[in-house]
Amino acid sequence: MRTNYRVNSGTRFHVFSKDQLEQLFWDTLHILEYTGLDVHHEEAREILKKAGAWVDGIRVRLPSYMVRKALSMAPRSFTLWARDGDPKKNIHIGPGRAHFGPGPTCPNFIDPYTLERRPYIKGDAELVAKVVDALPNIDFCESLGSISDVHVDLSALYEFAYMFPNTSKPIVAWSFRWDDSEAIHKIAITEAGGQEAFERRPNYVHYCEPVSPLVSTFEALDKLIFAARHRVPLVFTPCPIAGATAPCTLAGLIAQAAAESWMGLTLAQTIAPGLPFFMGGVTSILDMQTMIFSYGAPELALAECGLTELAHYAGLPLWNTGGCTDSKTLDEQAAIEGSFSVMAAALCGGDLTHDVGYTESAMTGSLFQLCMMDEAIGWSRRVTRGIEVNEETLAVEVIKSVGPNGHYLRHPHTRKFFKTEFWYPTLCDRHNYEEWKAAGSLPMRERVIAKVREILETHTPPPIKKETRDVIEKVLADAEARAKSGDTKKK
Amino acid sequence: MSKILEQLATAIIEGDIDNTPKLVQKALDEGLEPLTILNDGMVMGMNEVGRRFKAGDMFVPEVLMSAEAMQAGLKVLRPLLVASGAKLLGKVIMATVQGDLHDIGKNLVGMMCEGAGFEVIDLGFDVPAERIVQAVKEHKPDIVGLSALLTTTMRQMAYTIKALEEAGLRDKVKVMVGGAPVDEEFAKKIGADGYGSNAAAGAELAKKLVGAA
Ligand code: B12
Repeated sequence: MRTNYRVNSGTRFHVFSKDQLEQLFWDTLHILEYTGLDVHHEEAREILKKAGAWVDGIRVRLPSYMVRKALSMAPRSFTLWARDGDPKKNIHIGPGRAHFGPGPTCPNFIDPYTLERRPYIKGDAELVAKVVDALPNIDFCESLGSISDVHVDLSALYEFAYMFPNTSKPIVAWSFRWDDSEAIHKIAITEAGGQEAFERRPNYVHYCEPVSPLVSTFEALDKLIFAARHRVPLVFTPCPIAGATAPCTLAGLIAQAAAESWMGLTLAQTIAPGLPFFMGGVTSILDMQTMIFSYGAPELALAECGLTELAHYAGLPLWNTGGCTDSKTLDEQAAIEGSFSVMAAALCGGDLTHDVGYTESAMTGSLFQLCMMDEAIGWSRRVTRGIEVNEETLAVEVIKSVGPNGHYLRHPHTRKFFKTEFWYPTLCDRHNYEEWKAAGSLPMRERVIAKVREILETHTPPPIKKETRDVIEKVLADAEARAKSGDTKKK
Repeated sequence: MSKILEQLATAIIEGDIDNTPKLVQKALDEGLEPLTILNDGMVMGMNEVGRRFKAGDMFVPEVLMSAEAMQAGLKVLRPLLVASGAKLLGKVIMATVQGDLHDIGKNLVGMMCEGAGFEVIDLGFDVPAERIVQAVKEHKPDIVGLSALLTTTMRQMAYTIKALEEAGLRDKVKVMVGGAPVDEEFAKKIGADGYGSNAAAGAELAKKLVGAA
């Protein structure tokens, strides 16, 4: 009988000690209580004031009990549902689970056929959704671009309308403002079977971005209020730039990001107690030579891990970032930067890790990067699954029965475990030289391109309901009419 | 080069905000011409900063300290230069266009222009065309620098240029544009006078636009 025996059921690592987390936590509350944020939304200020906030002009300070109350209401564990109910595509958010998906709104796209960098167009959102649907390690969908060939105010809505039929995996949607949020929501609840059915089984998440340092913009909060009132799970994610819009030091970067996100948390929980809420923060550095916001820096991965630990300490899931690169093309840099940040996100349990497939520092979306990272995620997931230790896996009896100079190839123990204990790559090549040569001497790059094209040509995503198709047509027609009459600015 | 000018150049390179104005005053006390102090001391220092930055030996925060030192020195020098009728580099108005909240790039361009010796007026972000026109009327700048980071707000740059035309101000100012999604081709298409791909290129461009480089 074992006693007092601790089991690690996966591989984990830690950036912070418990003492450090406590300090980060309370200092974040200190920022919210004593510095506060500028909140550019009158109704939001009123709601917060009624709930106990100190409001001076547009400056809103939150006494720490308010934030702690909000934290106590937000769930740490919940499910995002596949629209077709496929249990393999549901996302269970909870301790010790990391999930991955692309990012939003790059202006450019790598054309999967010409391999050229060009503006992102309508059909691309369909391609991205299809590839997301097919890749086994990509869990949720974003578009990797903003559509350039529709009315500029409608690009977010078109993105969703084109993605939704092409993947049944949960989608993370963004929008410009209230009216396109509404149209997106209509599509999602139609498929779910109405508002109440949606509330029980949400099939998409709404994404808003405040401005660093310490500003909650009208747009971000208006969208937040929309989502809260319709009980759409929320991502509230600032993008603080260390050394430019946030402290250069990563601890300060993390605390500021947390404060910015928790203003949204407090508002959201005040409006809709218990609303699933992802704390956010794309936390990276301004490269002090090239002046770009780096998507490939080790500081991005490290700060995201730190932020994730703080989120988990506070009882929230985190909107993490990884699988992205500053490289302009599918090359060794892209593989190194993308894989390391994927690995870091997997290790810290980044609940929803986005921007997989971003290249050129978020300027260009790439299905190839996404597909290559699917492999890196698989690799990382094998590592985070850890090593199971028990009598059977320690196999002392098996070792005894095989003995010196025997082999394990035909042993039942091998047959029992070879499929689950080993991970099988689909892109990394392990053939011997002759075989590799006979198959065309293809480098990784060529294999990735071939796989993406094969998915595009062969994968059929599960269809949506007829009603939903009709609603999509209708909301797009209505939106076009609004855009023509110049009425897209209104709430 | 006299010793004081050399010291001044070094103070600029080191980003010594306290000492730079003192050294400028000392140079004036020694009887040096304001224009000599500017060109043979401060600008020499700043040129070296530019060289080192390009070579990767200096970093953005250091360059910005130098730019700040430059401005601290100019504060003492500018009235004298104006009084002597010397031609100054001039004024730049910087703004991130309407609908766009991305302002770090715009800030960097502004600070680099300050480093080059321009006087910079920053209108902030989410700035409508009318406010830019208003500011041009009020400040009479040599250059208007527009920044946009969104494909959806790039069109605001075109509107702003049009608004300047309609107000009869287009030939009074040069317009330069930049921001991650903006490129040379777009700048040409909307009738801007120049495009800069980064903040240092922006400052170089500004000098070119006023005929100083
Ligand atoms: C930080 C950031 C934000 C922050 C900005 C905060 C702030 N205080 O600035 C926040 C979180 C608020 C934000 C919000 C949004 N963002 Co944003 N953001 C970024 C990000 C990651 C970095 C931008 C940055 O600061 N870079 C560092 C600076 C120094 O670089 P820079 O601005 O390009 O400037 C340099 C040059 O361009 C040049 N330059 C700039 N201006 C000028 C002007 C002149 C005259 C000259 C000569 C040169 C010049 O010099 C600078 C220095 O070298 C970019 C990604 C990227 N690669 O750009 C996305 C990005 C620009 N954002 C994007 C989007 C979509 C948004 C949102 C719509 C998000 C959303 N879905 O809700 C909102 C829009 C808000 C709004 N109305 O503006 C997209 C744009 C895509 C598109 N199709 O246009 C990008 C590309 C990311 C992405 N793939 O999604 N964002």
